[in-house]
Amino acid sequence: MKVTLERANLLKSLNHVHRVVERRNTIPILSNVLVRAEGEGLMFKATDLDIEVLESAPAMIQTAGGTTIPALMLYEIVRKLRDGSEITLETNPDQTSLVLTSGTSTFNLQVLPESDFPDITAGEFSHKFTMKAADLKKLFERAQFAISTEETRYYLNGIYLHTVEVEGKLILRAVATDGHRLAQLDMSAPSGSEGMPGIIVPRKAVSEIQKLIEDPEADIEIEVSDTKIRLNIGTVVLTSKLIDGTFPDYQRVIPQGNDKELRVDCTEFAQAVDRVSTVSSDRGRAVKLAVSEGLLVLSVSSPDSGSAVEELPVSYNAEPLEIGFNAKYLLDITNQLKSDDVIFKLAEGQAPAVIEDSADETALYVLMPMRV
Amino acid sequence: MIIRRLDDSTVNRIAAGEVIERPASVVKELLENAIDANCSRVEIVTAGGGKNLIRVTDDGHGMPRDDLDLCVERHCTSKLDANDITDIRSLGFRGEALPSISSVARVKITTRHRHEDNAWELQVDGGERSDIRPAALSVGTRIEIEDLFFATPARLKFLKSDRSENNAISDVVKRLAMAHPDIRFSLNGPDRSALEYSSVEGSGAYLVRLGQVMGRGFRENAVEIDAVRDDVRLTGFAGLPTFNRGNGLQQFLFVNDRPVRDKMMLGALRGAYADFLARGRHPVVALFIDCPPAEVDVNVHPTKADVRFRDPAHIRGLIVGAIRKALQDAGHRSSTVGGDNTVSALRPDGLRNSSAVNDAGAWSKSINRPLHMPDTNGAGMMSPGYQDRNHGFEEQSVMAPVSIPSADARAGEAPVELSIEALPLGAARAQIHENYIVAQTRDGMIIVDQHAAHERLVYEKLKNAMLEKGIASQILLIPDIIELDEVDADRLAANAKDFEQFGLVLERFGPGAIAVRETPAILGEVNTTALVQDLADELAEWDSSSLVKERLDHVAATMACHGSIRSGRRMRSEEMNALLREMEATPHSGQCNHGRPTYVELKLHDIERLFGRH
Repeated sequence: MKVTLERANLLKSLNHVHRVVERRNTIPILSNVLVRAEGEGLMFKATDLDIEVLESAPAMIQTAGGTTIPALMLYEIVRKLRDGSEITLETNPDQTSLVLTSGTSTFNLQVLPESDFPDITAGEFSHKFTMKAADLKKLFERAQFAISTEETRYYLNGIYLHTVEVEGKLILRAVATDGHRLAQLDMSAPSGSEGMPGIIVPRKAVSEIQKLIEDPEADIEIEVSDTKIRLNIGTVVLTSKLIDGTFPDYQRVIPQGNDKELRVDCTEFAQAVDRVSTVSSDRGRAVKLAVSEGLLVLSVSSPDSGSAVEELPVSYNAEPLEIGFNAKYLLDITNQLKSDDVIFKLAEGQAPAVIEDSADETALYVLMPMRV
Repeated sequence: MIIRRLDDSTVNRIAAGEVIERPASVVKELLENAIDANCSRVEIVTAGGGKNLIRVTDDGHGMPRDDLDLCVERHCTSKLDANDITDIRSLGFRGEALPSISSVARVKITTRHRHEDNAWELQVDGGERSDIRPAALSVGTRIEIEDLFFATPARLKFLKSDRSENNAISDVVKRLAMAHPDIRFSLNGPDRSALEYSSVEGSGAYLVRLGQVMGRGFRENAVEIDAVRDDVRLTGFAGLPTFNRGNGLQQFLFVNDRPVRDKMMLGALRGAYADFLARGRHPVVALFIDCPPAEVDVNVHPTKADVRFRDPAHIRGLIVGAIRKALQDAGHRSSTVGGDNTVSALRPDGLRNSSAVNDAGAWSKSINRPLHMPDTNGAGMMSPGYQDRNHGFEEQSVMAPVSIPSADARAGEAPVELSIEALPLGAARAQIHENYIVAQTRDGMIIVDQHAAHERLVYEKLKNAMLEKGIASQILLIPDIIELDEVDADRLAANAKDFEQFGLVLERFGPGAIAVRETPAILGEVNTTALVQDLADELAEWDSSSLVKERLDHVAATMACHGSIRSGRRMRSEEMNALLREMEATPHSGQCNHGRPTYVELKLHDIERLFGRH
């Protein structure tokens, strides 16, 4: 294999694929990126056996062929080369090493044969649809904070993507929960997604996909099967295995009868929560919300350092109520809200609260209170 | 096969299998007989690990001729009044020991009752009894057992080496000796080291005897326990947390002067020390429970090592409460082992090179210790931490010249008020190596490890804050259902109230499952399955669980570690004095969270000894 390409192109592609590579591996070839010179360009492929990222860059191909190169080292080298330079990659005849030349720099890197590189993409996809990058990004971005990090509940370690019918309309819905809070984001289902299986997209894929989205207006082609999801994002193709598990019946835990509605300015509220929770130093810091007609009193007390109280004008017309929440959880949710007002739908002090965006009914959050 | 009644000798051999497990069990049965006979001294001789010979001689009230005739028959005993098995005031009561032993060995019993003119002798060889013959003996009983297990060769094969059988016998003697300081015990034999405990009278008798058995270190590092709740009395001595061991073998428990190893009581000990010791370290204790015989059932197992209390929670509460209180009252009394080690390490003579244990031995001789120094007073006495520390001191004393450049002498300039010096931790004089505070007290000096001490103070504060505020729990969106076997689920459900206190709310969910509804908020996202499984395991093992509290304390400990002053930080004399005062005011500040001391004390007379002034 012999190929020449611009540093910028090589760097851009490596930038996309190298993140998938785990820093420490027990299987040496997983530390490598596969490069293949064919036709008009150079193809890159990296995998951690759960996610595979594939990308092509324009290149001048003298000799076709392929090999695998240590990914992080290659990325570091290319990053440090002069801007605007040209880079030539050439394998030696017995395919055991690769010479990288750029200007006066020469690197000799050990490589592993292309044929040993694992392929996780085999298999058919049953459904195929297209959606706007911005829409997908919104689903993932606003739900991912609620993904569980507790590994034993592996089926919660991702975002549950599925279709449901709401009032006669088909909805594509993303749900994430860690058992303490739940995020649910809706969008109208793109054509082709009807009847798709409910899938759990793992945390790492969720964050990689968001990083790969550069142009919010672009269309993303999505293919899914029972076990895999594949996304075509610009020049990149990302394939990820799905979490093989059953997502719990989340609809059961979203309360329907919460009739006490509290409406408060979102920014004011978030800042107030942040302010009063300063006096508490521990991790499970609880903020108490005492609501009465037109008034919300936020308070935190910590026996060793003192207490804080803040009052906020709110719109609230039901009977007074006291409820405690983890301050961090409240802030996580208010960070996701985009409109001016946040709406809390409450039932009682020990029951789950529903939190909504006043201007965006596609987002819904459920937060469990604390018992203080 | 037809069913038939077994003959007597077979029945006895089967019974012997339960009661007489190894030579040590024979010694235990015979010693108990001697103690029940109100003896004032008892002498034990063994040979060949007890297999060849066990001879127990006591000066108790002895047996008349007719009793001698009966004593080797099954279920014959003088110890139960009116067949009332709920009122057991003696160690034995089953009437099984002698027939069991005599069915598997050659036994010669010689006894003389107070009212008889001469002694009588009976020989039983594997159940075959001889006639009763007159013999010579002063008042008391002598039982000689030869060729133990000759009638059950299988059992003989399963015995361990003579050495370990000898050790097991020593252990039995020690345990019984602890509970009976008024009796003189001696244990001898051609192939063993001798033990001798002289009889001790008076109020401090138990402590003296415990010192004889467990070594001087225990006497000096134990706090006295004396608590009464209703009609149960708990006495004994609990080792300071800094005086810990790597295993639980030095925990001696007695119920009505009967040595026991009871799961519930051991669990209570763990609970009492939970906050002071790292996992895997064990306290050293000797506890005596006195309760009306009806409150406790000793008839659980033939060897009577297990007991059942009518109200275990009551006993548990008493043990935990009394030990906690005693340790709290002991306050910041740090282990003197630390001080002793320091002195040993500092000594300018050849002792420095010998191990810490030998130091302790040599040490104790010089101050007129009781004759016997048991060999179990081994290396386990000091935690590895101590020994490290010991070496640390050694290095300092060898390598550091008096005027070490890093010594912070500023504190020395501070005017020392005499009133401060009278306080237990004295007046701070200097900080050395930016980690150790040297303070002067009226009768000695104190060296404080500033990081360990401050960490403990912060930890105590955080813990109090946590308890005061109550532990906030996070309610779960979806209760976690954890499948367990039914017994575990029962136990967890029964203890649900205790867990709720610490923010873990769980309840029964069908026959073989537990639903977790709330978890302690401070733990964040919890692996509930593992937590609940661990809880169930701990409950199964100890009947109680402090696991949730431990997890919370662990969070507090981590926070304390980050929130406390580090070694390497220079302190002003005001700061050092403030730290010392706070240590005095805070309970349990004498040890860090891992059971290591936060300070050591050197008495003036120890220092003077170093210079040969005494």
